[in-house]
Amino acid sequence: MKKILYVFIGLLVITLNKPLLAKTNLHGLVRSGQYSRGALLGTPQPEAIKQSLDAVYSVGTYPLYTPELAPGEGLDVIQGYCNLCHSVSYITMQPPLSADTWEAEVYKMINTYGALISEDETKRIIVYLQTHYTQETRKQ
Amino acid sequence: MAEEKLEAVSRRVLLKMLGAGAAWLGLNKLPSALAQVSGQATQQMPGFTGPGANPYWGAVGPFVVYPQKLPLIQLTDRPVQLETPRHYFLTPFTPNAAFYVRWHLEGIPNAVNLSEWRLFVEGNVGKSLALSVADLMKQFKPVSIAAVNQCSGNSRSRFQPRVPGAQWGNGAMGNALFTGVRLKDVLDATGIKAGSICVQFEGLEKGRGLKESVSHRYLKSLNLDDPVINESIVAYEMNGEPLPMLNGFPVRLVVPGKFSTYWIKALTWIRVLTESDTNFWMTKTYCVPDTPHGNTTLKDFKDGLVKMVPVGTMPVRSFIITPDGSGKIPVEMPVTVRGIAFSGYGRVVNVEFSEDDGKTWRKARLGDDYGKYSFRTWETTWIPKRTGPYALAVQATDEKGNIQSDGEFWNPKGYLWNKIERQEVMVGAAQ
Repeated sequence: MKKILYVFIGLLVITLNKPLLAKTNLHGLVRSGQYSRGALLGTPQPEAIKQSLDAVYSVGTYPLYTPELAPGEGLDVIQGYCNLCHSVSYITMQPPLSADTWEAEVYKMINTYGALISEDETKRIIVYLQTHYTQETRKQ
Repeated sequence: MAEEKLEAVSRRVLLKMLGAGAAWLGLNKLPSALAQVSGQATQQMPGFTGPGANPYWGAVGPFVVYPQKLPLIQLTDRPVQLETPRHYFLTPFTPNAAFYVRWHLEGIPNAVNLSEWRLFVEGNVGKSLALSVADLMKQFKPVSIAAVNQCSGNSRSRFQPRVPGAQWGNGAMGNALFTGVRLKDVLDATGIKAGSICVQFEGLEKGRGLKESVSHRYLKSLNLDDPVINESIVAYEMNGEPLPMLNGFPVRLVVPGKFSTYWIKALTWIRVLTESDTNFWMTKTYCVPDTPHGNTTLKDFKDGLVKMVPVGTMPVRSFIITPDGSGKIPVEMPVTVRGIAFSGYGRVVNVEFSEDDGKTWRKARLGDDYGKYSFRTWETTWIPKRTGPYALAVQATDEKGNIQSDGEFWNPKGYLWNKIERQEVMVGAAQ
């Protein structure tokens, strides 16, 4: 019983003290002890890798941190084709590009880098990128 | 809550104005870099920048962790492109664990078996070679060189109008002490035959593209009459350690003074060719206008007036690393302004600092000299005499007389950026 009383008194002192402390004139201190929820979820530190005794030097797999693309018509074709050679972080990394530039980028993938995409699907890819990733349309 | 929202909005508006305003006013000067140390971690920076120039010192991607690396700034995750954060440039040598990463094709090495791996030297040679790492260490004289490795597209996110490609801030660069064997010694051991024109390099990096397509292999060449052949090394060590897998284990080519595009990672094939190398990676990309400083305009490029040539030597650059604008400075307090400078054309001989946006300049002190291809640290003591905002600036001059400028600069691929860097800092009352 006594214990509970002490805890109660202790809590009361802390509670009462809070505004008291805040009002204490610590010369020049403008704000202190203020916290708010951080926007970043902390990145966990990775565990060390176990090394083998032989001549094989390994670092394990490389982690993927691929951002979500804007939902919309054509997303399935993008995921299907663009992902073959590179992750779609290559799309989200770009600044807003003009409709013409996106079209040129898609044809560069086909004509220069050898992507095999049908005419119809090429058009859908271009329209998707123009609908979500130009200066006028980009949201995220 | 409302206040937070207001802040967020005004910040976004400010970013837009910085880009659009600068373009509208026709200003050439690079605006000051925004602080990128967590000043207010309850609010994220935007996920992308544009259509204005990226106002931050580095790229805007999230911090991510990769094998053998500290958290770095992500550009892309497959293939991997990671940028080094600003504060790792306070020292002349960039730690391996913080060294930036840039691959072209998604098939990059996860594991290498050194009992099978060999460096193949072949082509127009007297005797083809297949050298193990042990052979490289034992059969050749080891040499070391401090050299800056910088991506051709470093700072691409500064270009106006923006150009597609990896949207690097300033951190696609690093300096390391590379140890290995002279490329020349390896070429001498194989015996180059008459009629040879260039040497082609290929690493373990492979793409998903069809075998004949350019997205399957990454190939770069150096002409045999290029003096850099005599300075290049096949490095098996970086800052006294084996190369991190992401930086090209087991060996990479080091081409001092030239952009990183030639520094083939996980180098495995050296081929002596009897014709100049016209492959895609030499003649269709990594090319810059054949004009002074590789400068042109969107209009001239679109009008087909620009001849493109392979990118080569790195122009002179200098950076302010601290102060970074993340905190205020009390007036009259002596502050040490610190940074780095380098040039692919030769030794940096002069670094000048300005506290008034580049109107007046004074000499900064240069740090230790680790050779003409290394970062050179610089510092200067600065005592702000009045309160208010300051635009600090830095410019470097190399031994060939090349100096940085504020001039209009653009090319279609976003290479060779080296404009004068600025940092805005706020000076407050000290009492």
